[in-house]
Amino acid sequence: MGFLAPWALAGLAAVGLPVWLHLLKKHKTTPVPFASLMFFERRTQSSIKHRRLQYLLLLALRTAVVALLALAFARPVLQSHLAALAGGPRLNVLAIDQSFSMRDGDRLARAKREAAQVASRLRGEDKLQVLAFGSQVRVMGDSPAAIAAIEPTDTRSSYAELSRAVRSIAQSARMPVELHLFSDMQKSSLPANFADLRLGADVQLVAHPAADRRAPNFAVESVNAPRRVYGSGKARVQATIAGYGTEQAKRRVSLVLNGREIDSKTVDVPASGRATAEFASVDLPFGLTRGDVRIDSADNLPDDDHFNFSVERAEARRILFVHEGRNQRDALYFRTALEAAAQSAFELDAVPVEQSANLSPQKYAFVVLSDVSSLPPTFESVLRGYVRSGGSLLVALGRESVLGGRVPVFDEAVVEMRYFGRDGDRFQSAAWLDAGHPSIHDAQHWDDVKFYQAVRVNPGTARVAARLGDETPLLLEKQLGEGRVLVFTSTFDNISNDFPLHASFVPFVEHTANYLARQEEGPANYLVGSYLELRQAKEQGAAVEVLDPKGGRALTLEEATRAQNMPLTMAGFYDVKRPSGRHELIAVNVDRHESDLDPMSSDTLALWQNTAQGPRNATSGGEVEAPKPLEFWWYLLIAVLALAIAESLLGNRHLTVDKEANVT
Amino acid sequence: MLQRFLDPATLASISGLDLVAKTVVDGFIAGLHRSPDYGFSQEFAEYRAYTPGDDLRHVDWNVFARSERVYLKKYRGETNTQLLILLDTSASMGFGSQPVNKLDYARFLAASLCYLAHAQRDAAGLIVFDENVLNYVAPSARQGQLFRLLHAIEKAEPGTRTDFAKPFVHVLDFTRRRGIVVVISDYYERPELIVKTVEPLRFRGNEVILFHVLDPQEIAPKFSEPVLLTDMETSGTLEVSPEYARGEYRHKIDAHIQGLRDQAKGAGLDYFLMDTGRPLDEGLREYLSVRQGRM
Repeated sequence: MGFLAPWALAGLAAVGLPVWLHLLKKHKTTPVPFASLMFFERRTQSSIKHRRLQYLLLLALRTAVVALLALAFARPVLQSHLAALAGGPRLNVLAIDQSFSMRDGDRLARAKREAAQVASRLRGEDKLQVLAFGSQVRVMGDSPAAIAAIEPTDTRSSYAELSRAVRSIAQSARMPVELHLFSDMQKSSLPANFADLRLGADVQLVAHPAADRRAPNFAVESVNAPRRVYGSGKARVQATIAGYGTEQAKRRVSLVLNGREIDSKTVDVPASGRATAEFASVDLPFGLTRGDVRIDSADNLPDDDHFNFSVERAEARRILFVHEGRNQRDALYFRTALEAAAQSAFELDAVPVEQSANLSPQKYAFVVLSDVSSLPPTFESVLRGYVRSGGSLLVALGRESVLGGRVPVFDEAVVEMRYFGRDGDRFQSAAWLDAGHPSIHDAQHWDDVKFYQAVRVNPGTARVAARLGDETPLLLEKQLGEGRVLVFTSTFDNISNDFPLHASFVPFVEHTANYLARQEEGPANYLVGSYLELRQAKEQGAAVEVLDPKGGRALTLEEATRAQNMPLTMAGFYDVKRPSGRHELIAVNVDRHESDLDPMSSDTLALWQNTAQGPRNATSGGEVEAPKPLEFWWYLLIAVLALAIAESLLGNRHLTVDKEANVT
Repeated sequence: MLQRFLDPATLASISGLDLVAKTVVDGFIAGLHRSPDYGFSQEFAEYRAYTPGDDLRHVDWNVFARSERVYLKKYRGETNTQLLILLDTSASMGFGSQPVNKLDYARFLAASLCYLAHAQRDAAGLIVFDENVLNYVAPSARQGQLFRLLHAIEKAEPGTRTDFAKPFVHVLDFTRRRGIVVVISDYYERPELIVKTVEPLRFRGNEVILFHVLDPQEIAPKFSEPVLLTDMETSGTLEVSPEYARGEYRHKIDAHIQGLRDQAKGAGLDYFLMDTGRPLDEGLREYLSVRQGRM
């Protein structure tokens, strides 16, 4: 409680006035002689005491009136979390954990049962809000019946997300909030920053643990497998088996492909440790394969005893390399670099520009225009449509390209040809590289590459991924429709630069090819709760078809044509058919943080509960608006009025002079 | 108009007790002119021949000188009686909320009665008592008796506690002749005990009149706020609320008065409540009424 005008508290000194009137100026009882007390009785003293009691009551009333008046002028305010203690309606938020770990035993059933009991004990004036939370918070409703509708999910629980939602609820509720948390209190669900758990000042956290102790649990923690295998290559699958709170044990690990067990191994898992099982030289069928690594564990959480992965075995994809007929060097260097890559996923079809008029780029992973002066109009038009529908194009610029005056498909003007000769700098180096670009993100030794010629292109709206020392853009990228165009402002022929002779050339070509062919998009395995990118362009395009692990359509028709991404809400395999006709199999697994059933310590829980009463801006927060303090001075004035009336009535009883009583 | 001289407040301004008595009685007598039943005179009634045994003091010696016959001279109303006043001077009699307290009022009453008796040639005596008999003036009709009585009354001061029964043992020894016994007191004792104590006087052929002297504040006390009362006899204190004084006390004092009146009547005693706020003539009228009844 605080005061907006604390100086008015000096008025409390006036309390001394009634005290002086009643105590210091107390009337003295002078004995009055009387003939005989024969007809008076001792019990009449009780009447006097009663009268004295009334005097004390009068004193108390007068003192209270003065004190409350002084307090009212001091304008006392009450912090809302203290105001909550005064009673009144409150919002009871029942937050029930529906994360994957609640599948262990009867945790979710127990949580729902306890939540129903809490809901049945609410007072009539209290409000109810039922939340179900995992990685996200869902509002289930405001009636106890909503509790029964909560089902277990494959998501990971996030107490930070819950705290954020409850803070938001508390701000809009404008009444004290009592948060009942029904969860297994996993330590792994705590955020990295404890400040994210901060609750509002009006929130009181009541924990209802759904697990009494830490349960041992085995799980397949991760599987490392290639996403694609080309040609006759074999796959190598590596699985990590983890034990959480477990004793040392042997576990049998099985590799299952398309529902058929291919191989199995036995691993020795140390106490609360990890073991690795490796399946080398796995033959895969052509096409998409549903992979699964399983272990035999008899714990209460069997759903994390397997790990999904998908592998695609395909033929090497082809690249259309268009070049000037008289220049064969660039195709040579580019093909050599591709073949030197770890996995030769591509084959190069080198075609002179004169023969490109009737080519269809649709069957190629991407197209390379290597220092061509001009394209046949029909081919350029086809190429433009190819890019817009999701294809990719790499354009290398050299002396021939300058003649055209502009970069084909990229549609930006060529400013000039830069020569670095004896009259100036003899060569330029790549002075600035955008390590975030997929083509060069792990490129090394670019400093040694000497660029003798470069074409200066107006970058326009393109992204510049690399620049030379004189600020000439070296690598630019522009998004066109669903596709992308990459412009390298020098050549691959070892004339304009010595790039093909450097070790950094091979990874550049490999990464660029993978990037343009969209080979490396997305992780090998997705976690439940993550998002799958459906398209990059914001405009409405062709529909993407997604079938969830249960075989149902995961997207509505509108979402299929508009949505840029979609959440992966359950473990299993998502079947994705892209607008380009490409078929993908997305393996989704539960976040293995959920497999660690170790509950948080009581100290941590107490700290979390204390965030409701702690300093409001003690942590990095501060963005939370401080609740408005409650002023209640007018309540005091009402009390003063009531006391004044009572004082008047009581005082009149004492001050009324008995008309008969003229003698004392 | 002369009634105002009987008002206690007026009498309080008169210094001498004899003058008070004279004022009271003269005023009182003057107011009786219409009543032939009351009064006395030295009016000649008849001569009667002397017979042996008559008191020689009543012989009309002038007639004997002229006629050498002995006649007795008889006057109307010459029949006399004896008045004995028992004056209570206990400490409680010192209480008063009026210009005159109860003892003053009692002294005025006693003096007036003595003066009245003296005027009628009645023998008058006085016993002053509180817990003991403090003073005794034997009844007599001699010259100077009035002044002895007034002097004794004048000296009466509030004494100590009243043990009503104790002095009456001695009082009985002082009443050898029948007459009128007047007891002036505030009677702070149980009515049964009072009557039981006084009743023996009645057995000796006396007419007994109980003058109950009470202050108005005793009959109907009026307090505006709680007061601490001190008993004038016992010095005990008690806090009393106005509510109690207005209610329960009045019932008790009324019951006491009524009880004493009934008990006295039952024992053949005359009872008269004397409010110190009221004139004295009512007391005198009572006395004469009783005296008249005896003749």
